[in-house]
Amino acid sequence: MSSLIYFLKQSLQGFARNLSTTLGSIITIFLSLFIIGLFLMGGAVIQNVVESVENEVSITAYVADEASESDIAAAQDYIRGLDGVASVSFTTKDQALEKFREMSSNAAIVDELGGNPLPASIDIELSDPQKVEEVAKQIESSDQFKKIADEDNPSDSLKYGQRTVERLFSVTNYIRYIGIALIILLVFIALVFINNTIRLAIMARRKEIAIMRLVGASNGFIRGPFLMEGALHAIIGAALAIVSIELIRNLALPRLQASLAFLPIDVAPNTFLFIYLILLVAGLIIGLIGSMLAMRRYLKV
Amino acid sequence: MTEATNQGAEQRLERAPSRTGRLAADLSEALPVLEIDDLPQQGAPVIAFDRVSKVYPAQPNRPALEDISLQIYPGEFVFLVGHSGSGKSTLVRLIIRELKPSSGKITIAGEDLGSMRNWRVPYLRRNIGCVFQDFKLLPNKTVFENVAFALEVIGKSRSVIRTQVPEVLRLVGLQDKLDKLPDQLSGGEAQRVSIARAIVNRPPLLVCDEPTGNLDPQTSRGIMDLLERINRTGTTVLVATHDREMVDNMRRRVIALDRGHLTRDQQRGVYGFDV
Repeated sequence: MSSLIYFLKQSLQGFARNLSTTLGSIITIFLSLFIIGLFLMGGAVIQNVVESVENEVSITAYVADEASESDIAAAQDYIRGLDGVASVSFTTKDQALEKFREMSSNAAIVDELGGNPLPASIDIELSDPQKVEEVAKQIESSDQFKKIADEDNPSDSLKYGQRTVERLFSVTNYIRYIGIALIILLVFIALVFINNTIRLAIMARRKEIAIMRLVGASNGFIRGPFLMEGALHAIIGAALAIVSIELIRNLALPRLQASLAFLPIDVAPNTFLFIYLILLVAGLIIGLIGSMLAMRRYLKV
Repeated sequence: MTEATNQGAEQRLERAPSRTGRLAADLSEALPVLEIDDLPQQGAPVIAFDRVSKVYPAQPNRPALEDISLQIYPGEFVFLVGHSGSGKSTLVRLIIRELKPSSGKITIAGEDLGSMRNWRVPYLRRNIGCVFQDFKLLPNKTVFENVAFALEVIGKSRSVIRTQVPEVLRLVGLQDKLDKLPDQLSGGEAQRVSIARAIVNRPPLLVCDEPTGNLDPQTSRGIMDLLERINRTGTTVLVATHDREMVDNMRRRVIALDRGHLTRDQQRGVYGFDV
């Protein structure tokens, strides 16, 4: 216990001695953890969005304004009979307008348009999101639907989520690769920085270390202050990263949610706790490995 | 201080059974033998070298030490003499396992250094006090702190430090300079501090590498008196030196090295090299 206090005292002295390099290593740790945190947070948001999109995989078949009610009923019956369809419902033009008003943050546009530009639609809920493509094709090629389709080409009258989901995935994959590369680079830079800072701390105390060895201080006792210093850099860097992400969570996310009302952006508080824990642990690992590398090189016992 | 002296005297009496001596070299016999006790060479040796050689990688053809065998017993006071480069410092560094021998076996207090695990080395060093020519004091710490540092870093409690440090500083005669910084001390005083630091943990073995190398003859005598006093408390003392006057005056066991070879090992010896 008393030696822990000793380590802490020594590592704080190390801070004061090499303030600029210490700041350098703290900032690099902070930046790498911050970016890791951003990606984790972004990942959580995207995960949320994707899940909600996937849950809502449905097909909307737009119906021409002039389609007759009997044709619409026939098409509905046909669709209801397809494999993988859970339920079929009908949205009239008025209902569509109402829905749009609810969803949109800018409902005034609709009023200014005058009249109702929105088509009526048949909404098809699927029991199995995987089959969306298949069901859509069947609807597309059916005579019943061709008769009532809003556009001349029936496939243009069909909207379904699969394409969006796929596009979302391919985009997030790219972002993920870039993120991982960036993180690796930053972690590497942080390691180099910590390595350098600890090396300077070791050099500054070289004489003391020689005497400690001479009088038989244990290896752990000699190394303790330097490990502690690396860990302190990491903890401070992690704390900065956590504070920044907390700020983003409290300031930026609500705005993002407000402007993208239709996407469920809010992430559970537990997820954030988890992210913070990961940042702290990752920081500690970076700090300890960095200082251990330095010790292996410059502190042979 | 006086207590220590008395204790030393008692121990001297107890050691009275003398051993029949080794052959001393002619040179030694020719000189008057001073009044010193013969030391008992009994029990297990503190330091035992068994055919030890050390070759530095930089000089593969010129071994720093070659085929050295010697035993040093508890309570002995031994001079290790030889010219610069004869291997004295190498031998000292082998004892504290700062170096490993290229071949041969070194045993310190019954423990084989060759098979000793690295993490055990600090515990070995806690049992060996070390004094060097350049004092190795920390310039930004006071006399007291310098000595206390040796106890701090091996995890001794504050109360132990508070009692032991002033005591050992009294023993070396620096009780009035606790708060001085090393650069406010004379060379002799600085060396006394480093001796105090070496013995504050009460190691059974004290190894000194040229302890008087930087000091004038009179101060050197003071240091040697101190080392002798420490020896009388039962500490085994090994002094590597090329201080002819000191060795000739004290007439203790002398081990001579010449270019890495052990050339002489005699009781009550003299320096014996032509300068």
